[in-house]
Amino acid sequence: MEKIMSDATSAVNVGSESVKTQNQIAMSLKDVAVSFNGKVAVRDATFDVTKNKVTSLIGPSGSGKTTLLRGLNRLHDLTPGAKVTGQILLEGTDIYRGDITVTELRTRVGMVFQRPNPFPTMSIYDNVVSGLRFNGIKKKSILDEVAEKSLRDAALWESVESRLKVSAGNLSGGEQQRLCIARALALDPEVLLMDEPTSALDPIATLRIEELMVTLKERVTIIIVTHNMQQAARISDDCAFLLMGEDRAGELIEFDATEKIFNNPKDSRTLDYTLGRFG
Amino acid sequence: MSTSTSKIASQREELAEINSASSSRGWYQWLLIGVSVLFAVVSISFVGSIIIYSIPAWAHPGTLLTGKGWQSPTGPFGGFAMIIGTFETSLIALVVAGIVGLGTSLSIVFLVPGKFRNIIATLVELLAAIPSIVYGLWGFLVLAPWMLKTFDPFVNKFPFASTIFGSPGQQFGPSLMLASIVLSVMILPTFVAISREVISAVPSEIIEASYSLGATRWQVIKDVVLPTAKIGLFGATFLALARATGETVAVALVAGGVANAQFHLLYPGTSIAAWIATQFGEAQGTEVSALMALGVLLMLINFSLSLISRSLVNRQRKVLARV
Amino acid sequence: MTMIDELVPQPENTGTRDAIRRTAHAHRARRVAISRVMMILCGIALVLTSIPLVLLLIQLIVRGSSQLNATFFTKLPQSPSLVDPNAIGGVLNSIIGTLALTIYASIMAIPVGVLTGVYLAESRSKLAATLRVIAQTMAGAPSILMGLFGFTLIVKYLQIGFTAIAGSFALAVLMLPVIAISTEISVRNVPDTLREAGLALGAKPHKVSLKVVIPSALSGIVTGCLLAVARAIGETAPVLLTIGGGYLNEWRPLNPVSALPLSIYMNAKSEWPSQRAQVWGIALVLVAFVFVLSLTARIWASRKQKRNS
Repeated sequence: MEKIMSDATSAVNVGSESVKTQNQIAMSLKDVAVSFNGKVAVRDATFDVTKNKVTSLIGPSGSGKTTLLRGLNRLHDLTPGAKVTGQILLEGTDIYRGDITVTELRTRVGMVFQRPNPFPTMSIYDNVVSGLRFNGIKKKSILDEVAEKSLRDAALWESVESRLKVSAGNLSGGEQQRLCIARALALDPEVLLMDEPTSALDPIATLRIEELMVTLKERVTIIIVTHNMQQAARISDDCAFLLMGEDRAGELIEFDATEKIFNNPKDSRTLDYTLGRFG
Repeated sequence: MSTSTSKIASQREELAEINSASSSRGWYQWLLIGVSVLFAVVSISFVGSIIIYSIPAWAHPGTLLTGKGWQSPTGPFGGFAMIIGTFETSLIALVVAGIVGLGTSLSIVFLVPGKFRNIIATLVELLAAIPSIVYGLWGFLVLAPWMLKTFDPFVNKFPFASTIFGSPGQQFGPSLMLASIVLSVMILPTFVAISREVISAVPSEIIEASYSLGATRWQVIKDVVLPTAKIGLFGATFLALARATGETVAVALVAGGVANAQFHLLYPGTSIAAWIATQFGEAQGTEVSALMALGVLLMLINFSLSLISRSLVNRQRKVLARV
Repeated sequence: MTMIDELVPQPENTGTRDAIRRTAHAHRARRVAISRVMMILCGIALVLTSIPLVLLLIQLIVRGSSQLNATFFTKLPQSPSLVDPNAIGGVLNSIIGTLALTIYASIMAIPVGVLTGVYLAESRSKLAATLRVIAQTMAGAPSILMGLFGFTLIVKYLQIGFTAIAGSFALAVLMLPVIAISTEISVRNVPDTLREAGLALGAKPHKVSLKVVIPSALSGIVTGCLLAVARAIGETAPVLLTIGGGYLNEWRPLNPVSALPLSIYMNAKSEWPSQRAQVWGIALVLVAFVFVLSLTARIWASRKQKRNS
């Protein structure tokens, strides 16, 4: 009910765009910049993230991909001196200034990190439902239902069904990362942020996570940071290319459909990067 | 983590083999072994000499452990008042310092902005390095008069206060209560220094993960940080307890130095270590042995506490190695 | 409402999602409030910790610094009398005694402690494992026990009496395990590649240890020694039972000496307000010694870390 209300108001607010387009956009960034103690780390990020698609952020190290991604669920709030400017809309609501608390935002925008980071003191089951418990959902039937569904969606159910009460530390790296995906999915977020989710995994586990992302996008909009250009080309629909400027601040160079970025980019620097000439 | 450790271990083994294979141990190896054996001899005679000098007193073990009076110079020498005084003051100090110290460490890690965090951490470690005699001095010259003037009359306004604190008119500044307060202030920096380190060792990855699931700051602490750091925090607690039970001069200055077996908090009392320090100067013959026997007791208490805390710290390392 | 419903693509489990979102929403304000309260309590704990410690530091500095003058540092103590209640003299004897005790204790403890630490780091024998447990246990032992040890062994058994050497022996026993443990850690932190490089060049193991491993661990070893000295210098209980005290400029090992912590302990209970006031000055000097040593150790350690990284 709440959500629908806010959707309706934002549709009115935006006005100029058609209702249909608005409903297809999960997140909209306008002139987003992140700075630490006045020093700009990334700027000029303006693009729309389309619902039920995979959007990748690519670029060399230092181009601010991860910094930008972490601004999308306000993780920078934890860093003193960090400042995010510009406008980030989630379904029309400004996530920094709009009528949304940071805890609510984070239940709607989930995150998967570079290294698998299950809670070491919790069992597999407790890990999956931890987000629900944080948010006050205690009912066993809901927890059980969501745990099974999330683990199935993360393609982990079969292998852990019999050992849900085992510590999460006993899983392999790839399984741990899928557990972290299941943990994020349990809250049923609209957007899932993934920060180089396969960089700590072996090639087979990487492949399985990639397959998973492609199936998951039916359910959740995915924004992924990746170093691996083949990965971006394989799985993403849209692609944002960032580059470090002369003042060592990252900036958005180009945003387009992945196919265009890789085959027919507007900016020559994008071509240089995707062809592997630097970075 | 564990694989790399075992790799290093196996390399070490190889190195050790090279060491032992190359020549029948050179002068350097013998020097190291010789000095280490010297260290072992010193440590063993440390324990041994105190035990040997205490032997005459163990003729009456019952008196020593449960006797309530200490009659210098002939005896009987009862250690009950000191034993209870030790636990009473240390446990009160531990509860106060544990609760306040944990809150302090949490706010250093989770509330204080980054640039002040290191300054505060350094300050805490410096405070932990202040000699205990200075804490004792402060308690004796500043807190004791304050207790006498302000605290005693205030407490004794309440009905039934005398059951815990002792009846009015009997109090002195130096008391078991004052000793507990001074001990808590003294072990606070130690406890905060260790617990802060244990808490900051919780990987930021899992803290960020819990924030990303919509947890509030307190939920992150309660459900993720504290469970992960739990064992190490218990280790810090036992270490602080070991320090409090072994504290000598600070307690000797502020506890009142009386072998009092009533244990009301506002009455003067003493602890094992403080009693040894205050009585040793004038002790003769069997009284020296009796004090040595108290030393043996103190050693037993301390060694078991540090054994527990060490095994807890090792277990915490293993927990973190899994992350 | 129905119009918007049709436009939004509906996931299958809308029922559960809505239930989750509703419950989450209902609990949010309470969760945030609880978090606020708990964090405020933590902040109060920080303030509670700071109050006595800051008070102590301020009183130490204010009351202590007013005592520091030429007499304090250059004269021997005097007994005040009714005629001249402020004739307390200085504490030169305690400063000399403390320096002497610390130097003797370091001479005894540092070589043995460092070599034991190197042995602990480089050997995998049963002896090393046993010694490690002993060292760790000894490092936490109450200092009064070191006093008892110094008393039984040096004062009584060897019949040397209350002397500087008895006190410094007690302090050395206190420093030994601390030095051994910190040395072991710094030697272990030397990368094995360095050792292997040395061995691969055909150097004898003891040469590698002396010329490669110990030099690269040196700053860590020095840091550990400084911290051990900082701890020993302020210990009262061991010297209380061993050094005998006295009012003369005494430093010779076989004579009784005084020490700063000991005169704090003795004079704090003095009947003369002038002597009780002077104690703050002694405490300030002692704390200054300890802070300088700890800060030097800390800076040394952090510089080493910077160089290594």
